[in-house]
Amino acid sequence: MSGLLRLLARHKRAVILTGALLLSFFLMTLQVRHEAAVVTFTRQVVLFTVSPFLKVTTAFVQGARNVWRDYVDLRRLREENKRLHGEVATLQRRIDQLEEQSLETQRLQRLLAMRQASQAEFLTARVVGKDATNWFKTILLDRGSREGVRRNQPVLAPDGLVGRVVEVSPTSAKVQLLTDPVSAVGGLVQRTRVTGIVSGNLGAGARMRYLPLLADVVVGDEVVTSGMGGVFPKGIPVGRIIAVERRSGALFQEGSLQPAVDLGRLEEVMILTAPQPHDAGFEAGGARRP
Amino acid sequence: MNWFLLGLLCCALAQTVLLTPFSLGGIRPDLFLLLVFLVSQRVSPETATVLGFVIGLCQDGLSGGPLGLRAFTHSLMGFLASRLSHDVYTDRPLAVLWLLLGGSAGAGLITLALLSFFLGPPSLVPAIFFLIVPEALYTAAIGLLIFCLPQVRAALARAA
Repeated sequence: MSGLLRLLARHKRAVILTGALLLSFFLMTLQVRHEAAVVTFTRQVVLFTVSPFLKVTTAFVQGARNVWRDYVDLRRLREENKRLHGEVATLQRRIDQLEEQSLETQRLQRLLAMRQASQAEFLTARVVGKDATNWFKTILLDRGSREGVRRNQPVLAPDGLVGRVVEVSPTSAKVQLLTDPVSAVGGLVQRTRVTGIVSGNLGAGARMRYLPLLADVVVGDEVVTSGMGGVFPKGIPVGRIIAVERRSGALFQEGSLQPAVDLGRLEEVMILTAPQPHDAGFEAGGARRP
Repeated sequence: MNWFLLGLLCCALAQTVLLTPFSLGGIRPDLFLLLVFLVSQRVSPETATVLGFVIGLCQDGLSGGPLGLRAFTHSLMGFLASRLSHDVYTDRPLAVLWLLLGGSAGAGLITLALLSFFLGPPSLVPAIFFLIVPEALYTAAIGLLIFCLPQVRAALARAA
């Protein structure tokens, strides 16, 4: 026993390095199939410790940004005023067009009212931080389990799907964006109703995979959530196909996807806390507001 | 120890909040890795390994990746940086630049290998050219500025 201790002490450096590497590897192994309690606990401790500071820092940064913006605004006010006069004329023309569109919208709204209204409930949250690495695409929100946020709740922006909640602490929540490499969202090509899986791609946006080879998918096709998998309600806008790849010998074709939401500039998002099981209200009209 | 914890907290805040406007093409410098290099120059390889592990664990906690991923790379980088700091002239900017470039790219490649082991094979070309290489360059550039700041200050003081 003492011989072993002497041996370990002699090779202390190698023992510590090997121990650290093995412990890291073991921690990763624990998460392959399901999240272990020790992993969840460690993550929650880190999140719970850092999130108050994150909120303060974000508030400080936004305050400083506002002061800077006000200063810049003052300097540019004169040029802005001149430019705005020109824009007023352009906007007047736009107003005429929008009035025409408003009448059309009113007609469509009457048609939509005939459909069963969705009773989905949303919780608005502010983005207080982004992923600490460039490898994964997650954001931190200022709402947590105290406000009713739970794992796997869908997160939306006015333009469409953002992702889903993957971790929750009492005061904050971590959201996996749809461009995250380990994210997978059931997608549906709106025009041809072809289904596939939308997932992130390391360093290169999002892709729609597992599209049948003979499926009719072209550049410009809009993709919405398919509702399969039980996490995301059907019909939430996901993005638009910007390229289609058909490799020879491959069993499926793939499409590059431009997300409907600009995920790099998110400031506020909506967490879908209580969707209806067969919520048809998302389709066609985009995401609902609370 | 207090300084280390303060540095770690500042690093976490800067990486998750403050650096966002400075991202180039969605890439931000890895401040956690810079902290590992900074700390490793001042402690023994054993301590650097443990501190690298703690820094990596904290980064994993704030990331969407598996817990232990960055702990693995950072403990290894801490050990290597501490060992190399005795052999490499870390007061020379070019040596620092190469050390940071190599370390950051090495950490990236190890991360890629671990991810492909645990999550399946990723797309290699975009991962290397749009993630690992830009991140290594950006991290090394920012690291060079930080590491050379005392030398610049000393040179200015001498000139004054």
